[in-house]
Amino acid sequence: MIAFDHVGKRYRSPFGREVRALEDFSIELHAGEVFGVAGPNGAGKSTLISLLLGYLGPSEGTIRIAGLDPRRYVEAHGVSYLSELVNIPPGWRAEETLKRYALLAGVTADARDARVEAMIDWMGLGEHRAKRVKQLSKGTLQRLGLAQALLREERVIVLDEPTHGLDPVWTQRFRDVVTSLRRDDRVILIASHNLDELARLADRVAIIDHGRLQRVVDVRGVAEPNGGDRTPYRISLARGVDLLPAVFPHARAVGQGEYQLDGLTLDEVNVGLAALLAQGALVAMVYPVHSMLEQQFREAVGIGEESS
Amino acid sequence: MSRARVGAYALWQLRDYLKERGLSTIIVAALTAYLGLSTMTEAMPMPRPDDAISAELLVRFGSIDAVYTARMAEFNFHFTRSILGALVFLGALFAMNGIVANDRKLGFFRFLFAKPLTPSRYYGQAFMVHWLGFMVVMTLLGMSYGVVVSPVLTAPLLAVVALMFLAYAGIAFLLSAAARWDWLSLVVVTVAATFFWSKFGRSTHPLAKLLYLLPPMHRVDEVYVAVSGTPLLSAAPAAPVPWPLVGWLAGYGAICFLAGLLVLRVRRLAIV
Repeated sequence: MIAFDHVGKRYRSPFGREVRALEDFSIELHAGEVFGVAGPNGAGKSTLISLLLGYLGPSEGTIRIAGLDPRRYVEAHGVSYLSELVNIPPGWRAEETLKRYALLAGVTADARDARVEAMIDWMGLGEHRAKRVKQLSKGTLQRLGLAQALLREERVIVLDEPTHGLDPVWTQRFRDVVTSLRRDDRVILIASHNLDELARLADRVAIIDHGRLQRVVDVRGVAEPNGGDRTPYRISLARGVDLLPAVFPHARAVGQGEYQLDGLTLDEVNVGLAALLAQGALVAMVYPVHSMLEQQFREAVGIGEESS
Repeated sequence: MSRARVGAYALWQLRDYLKERGLSTIIVAALTAYLGLSTMTEAMPMPRPDDAISAELLVRFGSIDAVYTARMAEFNFHFTRSILGALVFLGALFAMNGIVANDRKLGFFRFLFAKPLTPSRYYGQAFMVHWLGFMVVMTLLGMSYGVVVSPVLTAPLLAVVALMFLAYAGIAFLLSAAARWDWLSLVVVTVAATFFWSKFGRSTHPLAKLLYLLPPMHRVDEVYVAVSGTPLLSAAPAAPVPWPLVGWLAGYGAICFLAGLLVLRVRRLAIV
């Protein structure tokens, strides 16, 4: 559905200095999947999205959406897009904003009012409908941005930092929204710093750094960790702490009654836990220090364990 | 496939123009007119029906009413000539300021053009709507002056105002599509064209042909004089409207407008 083929983007400053925002980026996104893009600040995520929407042209390579140049695709079909910064003229009112965008999105006259009302309702904008954009809080503005993106049923949805500014309740609701948007003929691309969010929502996540695709993580594949992964775990015991050194000789205290187990596979951790339980210990909590996606991310962008 | 209802969106664009630009145009035009009237009435008092008139004028025009009409026409001529050019230029500047560049600078283009919509169609329509809005504003101003002072609106005057707007606004549209500082660029182009045409317009040097790349701004006064009414008291005959010159200026603006649309077709929207 979407294909990046050896895409590069170079910026040149007025003084001739060249900055490579994206290099040799190749990937295919398939209909029916939710695809995540993760990377540190300045990694090239926003450039990637601007290229996908045709707001920038690639310096090298090609991008195709359903076989078309991005700009041609967007101008013919439209894309549901939420940008990282929600840029809407500050003098527009919330409801007016949706009516304007509905017109431009090509929502038919007979369906327009109902669609706008449905979005206001879905995004909880009822009490804000008469407010001007400049009067809205960050979270409400983000919801308005999401509402305008979803005014029409598009086959391509691009969400750049979609939960930025949302409170925990709306962050959870956003996950439900994305889940409800899944469709066999639709691609959803989410760029986010929030790895936990991507781990929950995406099927695959591309990790980019310094403009390069470092790796693509099959999130569904690593959700069940295999026995060979050696991610650090933390353990907290309600009873039998004195048994710990014998079972896990390298366990180190990290405060608040927690101990970190480094360099062990999941199998080794489980064997140790079984030994502890057999000796009468009561395990209060055990969890991986990083999610599987986070672990992959740290490896891909070269963040060491000591910086955690 | 469902395309954007751009035509229906024209009503929103007209509303935006009247709220954000038309009102400022009216305020600035009213202030300009007030200042123009104040300055002018010091040298030439506004005629009144009961003013004392000379026997010479009475003999020349035949009746007191005809003298009053002639004096009013003379007053209107000088007033219209003094402010019309400034009003059209400022109106075009207000109407076109940032018409494309602001959306690019402030990022408003991101949501707009994720919709099934082409920038050239959207901004081309905005140009037309702002032109219409400007004509509505100028007609209202002319009618107001007609009620308060004396009627000045004529078909040639409105036609010239519309075409001179096209001359300035077309250039501004191209500059807004291609650059960030459109209003400043328009002022620079206008001043530079006036300067170079005035200084080198009569030169026979082959390079002087390059002047034809610039609009003949040094002659716009001829256009405004011709539609400012007939100065009945003056000995000079009324000048006919120089339509070829108006056509040259408006054609220049129209070509710039089309070039602006072309820029919007080929230029990427994001500012790097």
